[in-house]
Amino acid sequence: MGSKSATIGGVAFAATGAAIVLAAHWMVAFWVPTEASMGLVQRIFYVHVPAAWTTFLAFGLAALASAAYLWLEDERADAAAVAAAEGGLVFGAIMLVSGPLWGRIAWGTYWTWEPRLTLTLLLWFTYLGYFLLRNSVRDVRRGRRLAAVVAVVGALNIPLIHVSVSWFRSLHPEAVVLNPEGPTLHPDMLVTLLTSLGGFTILFLGLLWLRYSAEMAGRPSDAEPAEQTPA
Amino acid sequence: MLRWAWLIAVKDLRIEFRARGRFLAMIAFVLLAGFLFAVSLDRTRVDARDVAGPLVWLVMLFASTAGAGRAFDAEDEAGAFRHLLLAPAPRPAIFLGKAAANAALVAAVAAAAFAAFALFLGIRAPGALASHAGVLLPGVIGLAATGTFFGRISAHSSLGDTLLPVLTFPLLVPMMFFGSTGTARLLMERPWSEVAGFVRLLWAFAVGSMAAGSLLFRHVVDD
Repeated sequence: MGSKSATIGGVAFAATGAAIVLAAHWMVAFWVPTEASMGLVQRIFYVHVPAAWTTFLAFGLAALASAAYLWLEDERADAAAVAAAEGGLVFGAIMLVSGPLWGRIAWGTYWTWEPRLTLTLLLWFTYLGYFLLRNSVRDVRRGRRLAAVVAVVGALNIPLIHVSVSWFRSLHPEAVVLNPEGPTLHPDMLVTLLTSLGGFTILFLGLLWLRYSAEMAGRPSDAEPAEQTPA
Repeated sequence: MLRWAWLIAVKDLRIEFRARGRFLAMIAFVLLAGFLFAVSLDRTRVDARDVAGPLVWLVMLFASTAGAGRAFDAEDEAGAFRHLLLAPAPRPAIFLGKAAANAALVAAVAAAAFAAFALFLGIRAPGALASHAGVLLPGVIGLAATGTFFGRISAHSSLGDTLLPVLTFPLLVPMMFFGSTGTARLLMERPWSEVAGFVRLLWAFAVGSMAAGSLLFRHVVDD
């Protein structure tokens, strides 16, 4: 696939995702019913949960692509990893900002050392370290390889985040969609959440596509030496 | 492979024993940290036993991080590490040997931390010392393995020691939680049954970090 057609495909995907996210925001503001116990603040849920899902999807993809890079030493896997990790940092920042805004009303505090919250922040810092390392190693190929190692090790935290809710007493609400007894959400709330989830996912995949294309286009061919100045 | 690991660990400890600089700096750091914590705490409001567990683990963490950051310096300066890589030793053996030597240093740091806190905070560790050692041992192994692995990674970075805590602390937080809680409970004379679950999780982290380090070390050291 040529660079131009890849760009057009990425832009189309990202624009579709952005349009769905905008539509979901309209539903959040004007259509979905207000939750009885938490009131208006519960509407943050329609941004926070999709951002969290996208963050874990992005970091999961970054870890898988990093593992593939270590295994195959294929530049495309590294480009996919760096593109996914950047997306994870951005959507993770949305999650880490929207969560405390909701928590201030629901829990009475912006931040609490609740296990899932804590470990999610740590995962975000792990990928911050991924970029710091990557950009501070003089030998570009070595920097990519070491960053891939960090991504793989950081991914070991993802299952820990998932099970931590059951290990410790958690303030996080129980699952309301992926519940063994079926979704417990009001149908309109479920539709709004799924719309937002779909929009965030498509937007992320579009941005991933664009970033991957830009990363591959910016790399020298194998014939050229790859050197860069450390950050 | 274990024979290689043993030889490398003995070599590292012999170098450390001859130079002593890093080890003595770590011990001095631990003693001074214990002293500073003791003078910083308002003893009329805080019971030292309530905070000693987390403080001992924090001191261990900082000392082992500072020590691990320097673990490869001497060999790198003399080019000896490159020669070590040319030896027919498997990469996991090199990692295990260096992690074992670091674990011995961190174990000494842990003992010094306990002594410092007993001395400066007036804590008499109740119960058998074996119980405290049972909590500290998997923590020492986990800290040493993680520090060795990421110490080698950060050695390649122009950010050097600044980067090492950014890479290791997020991964070590669960271990710090289990370890400091376990030690704190023992200091409060709680039964071993209240600590055993934490110790199992600490061992899981220790074994996991050793296994992950062994498997991935070749990606860290090979050109």
